[in-house]
Amino acid sequence: MKAPRIPMEELMGSGHLACQGCGATQAMRFALKALGPKTALTIPACCWAVIDGSFPHSCIELPIFHTAFETAAVVAAGIKVGLEMRGDSETTVMAWAGDGGTYDIGLQALSGVAERNDDIIYVCYDNEAYMNTGIQRSSSTPVGAWTTTTPVDNYKKEPKKNMIDIMAAHSIPYIATCSVAWPEDVIAKFRKAKEIKGTRYIHIFTPCPTGWKFAPELSIQMARRAVTSHVFPVLEITEHGQKIEVWKDFEPTSVRDYFKPQGRFKHLTDEEIEGLERDVEQKWRRLLAKEKMMASIPGME
Amino acid sequence: MVKKIEFESYKEMPIRPMTLGSMMWNLTGSWRNVRPLYDFKTSPCILGCPTNENIQRYIYLVTEGRYEEAWKTIIESNPMPAVTGRVCFHPCMTKCTRKDYDEAVDINAIERSLGDMGLENGGWMEKSKAVKKEKVAVAGSGPAGLSCAFYLARQGYPVTLFERDKALGGVLRWGIPEYRLSNELLDRVIKQILDSGPVEVKAGVSVGTDVSMDQLEKKYDAVFLGLGLMSSRGLGMDGEDEDGIEPGLDFLRKVNSGERVDPGAKVVVVGGGNTAMDVARCALRAGSEVTVAYRRTRNEMPAIAEEIEEAEKEGVAFHFLAAPKELVRRGGKLVRVIFQKMELGEPDDSGRRRPVPVEGETIEMEVDRLFTAIGEQADLEGIESTVETDWDLIKTSDETGATSNPKIFAGGDVVTGAASVVEAIAAGRKAAERIGRMFAGEPEPEVEEPKTVGIEDMNTDYFTRSKRNLVPRISASEAKTGFSEIKTGYTREQLASEAERCFSCGVCNFCDNCWVYCPDVAIARHEDEYEFLYDYCKGCLICVFECPCNAISIREEGK
Repeated sequence: MKAPRIPMEELMGSGHLACQGCGATQAMRFALKALGPKTALTIPACCWAVIDGSFPHSCIELPIFHTAFETAAVVAAGIKVGLEMRGDSETTVMAWAGDGGTYDIGLQALSGVAERNDDIIYVCYDNEAYMNTGIQRSSSTPVGAWTTTTPVDNYKKEPKKNMIDIMAAHSIPYIATCSVAWPEDVIAKFRKAKEIKGTRYIHIFTPCPTGWKFAPELSIQMARRAVTSHVFPVLEITEHGQKIEVWKDFEPTSVRDYFKPQGRFKHLTDEEIEGLERDVEQKWRRLLAKEKMMASIPGME
Repeated sequence: MVKKIEFESYKEMPIRPMTLGSMMWNLTGSWRNVRPLYDFKTSPCILGCPTNENIQRYIYLVTEGRYEEAWKTIIESNPMPAVTGRVCFHPCMTKCTRKDYDEAVDINAIERSLGDMGLENGGWMEKSKAVKKEKVAVAGSGPAGLSCAFYLARQGYPVTLFERDKALGGVLRWGIPEYRLSNELLDRVIKQILDSGPVEVKAGVSVGTDVSMDQLEKKYDAVFLGLGLMSSRGLGMDGEDEDGIEPGLDFLRKVNSGERVDPGAKVVVVGGGNTAMDVARCALRAGSEVTVAYRRTRNEMPAIAEEIEEAEKEGVAFHFLAAPKELVRRGGKLVRVIFQKMELGEPDDSGRRRPVPVEGETIEMEVDRLFTAIGEQADLEGIESTVETDWDLIKTSDETGATSNPKIFAGGDVVTGAASVVEAIAAGRKAAERIGRMFAGEPEPEVEEPKTVGIEDMNTDYFTRSKRNLVPRISASEAKTGFSEIKTGYTREQLASEAERCFSCGVCNFCDNCWVYCPDVAIARHEDEYEFLYDYCKGCLICVFECPCNAISIREEGK
């Protein structure tokens, strides 16, 4: 057999409580393979607070601090400082929160940590709603989607919040987005983040078969189509928010193809889908224009 | 088995809530109602290959740089990849799934590279010894005879190989021009086959005349007839035996034995098969102006498409829908041929449209020499009384070459009529296996219909469109001036890059996708295989969907 594509070491084990085809679980597995055993985690209320296992068990062979919903970032920063004071500067501390704990409830703590440039990796695994509490909308839920709080006759009309721009506005040293469909990319970005000091923000796109209403075997397909349809751009922002690099080396696919298997978009009419396709394309063009514009600023070439 | 931790009372609990054990006690396999399982299918290329070379396997081994194993994989079903890698009509590539995506993988070129490596690395060929007592006579040293002798010897049966020419190789030697397959290379291939096992050669001995079938049946426990087709079929025209008409095979034989030939200024070759192409291109190299006359159109030509293209590039002219009608001689010398103009009518038994004459329309051509290449026939002198024949071919009951005589087997062109090298190799191997089973008293195995896959079964998200790596070749203008080999073969880089294009249809090629994407860490990655850990597999089936090759199937639980 060839050399393994990703590290063999497993810090996440079987027997966990994730649904069939859970993208958030894949994300954790890749992240831990990249960071290695010298890692500590904080997990606020989110799917992972459940997936992990029931007391006194955990499927992760690393220290985890289960925090209150709004405090993942700041608890992680506290743990990091505590470790430093005890002479351990080696351990990576990672806050691992869902989109609800990032976009909504944990935003103030994250903003504070980022502004102070505290030395943690903050990860948002984005499944685009409050999934473990019963699929309620978050500010990450995309426009057009059904959730239990945005039912079909009143589906979500507001666009997904632009979390990446918010983080870039904090001028932190490293921001990256990635999708579980490209594990090598996920691992490379976590490894890169591990070597950087300061607040590092990684945003992973993690499909949720249960909440998005698609067959679990399509989980990776959705993670892939979200990227190739330009719905979820994969990018890196470095130089304290000054440099954007967008990944473009793929064959584009249609937004319609991405929507089709997902029950949460089933109610959309052809016209509505066309409108959303135009929105996605506009956002993609704006992003590319921004990438180009930022690179053209004197001193940033 | 990891046990769940349970506390009898609060006193046993830790002071702070903390982890004391893993979740491995939780057998999430019970959530599953369908299970994935590794279920390899047969790649379409393998089914397309008459001798069923394990193409997927050897291309996979090439991607890993395991060339010796790759070569040995071919040798399991074809003892001369260096030959077929040059002259095969590669029906495997017509079946290649990749042709429905961009372009078929150049399996033929990969096979040639491996075949050449096998000749350079003499040690790769395992030697076999005569460990069995039954003896077999093999008549004919063309592809069928060589293949049969090789696979008998590998089973440990001593073989005596009879060839009526002085030199071995049959049609490979005298039927295929040097620019496609050189005698020097053929000598090396034959030597490698003969050196590998207990094969005794009797060259210059014609079975049926020099040695009778009776003698062979007495002396040997089985006889394999791989006699090939020895002579060109005639045109059935008046004056065919006089000046200016020559059987194409005779001409090829002269050219291939290095004899000087002078076919004349204007040459016509009648026929549309590979022999016609070979004759035309050899005549071109002898300095003639050459036209191929064929009674159907280009679409119906049985020759390998590439051969036709090459002939055309080198300057061979084609005249379609024309059949020779009358030979015109002046002073006994052929000067003109009058052709009947044809058109295509209803399809015949071969599925090709039958040519029918267009009354009253003829074409005249000035011709110094007309070569016939409209088919070949067998020479069964001294043989036809021992086995049942069908016209001038030997009749067999199935593809293992069993004839009406239980001790006699046959295969190759003498059974099928003019076919291909690879079909002859397949026939020789299958007969050798059949003979082995007969000696061992084993029953014929039941053949199951193999499961295969098509482009719709593959996950093409994992493939990027790419062009086939073109085989380096000398230019047509250089090619037609001599007999140097036209294709020069892949470099190592091209070989690796072409092998990477293989989709590995229906068979795992260790891409890691199933193992990487499993959310439940329920796939173990071992040295040579993956294993489902059904205790934990929740049955999400991501592995099935993400397998690019369709090597994983689904089974409902409880069924």
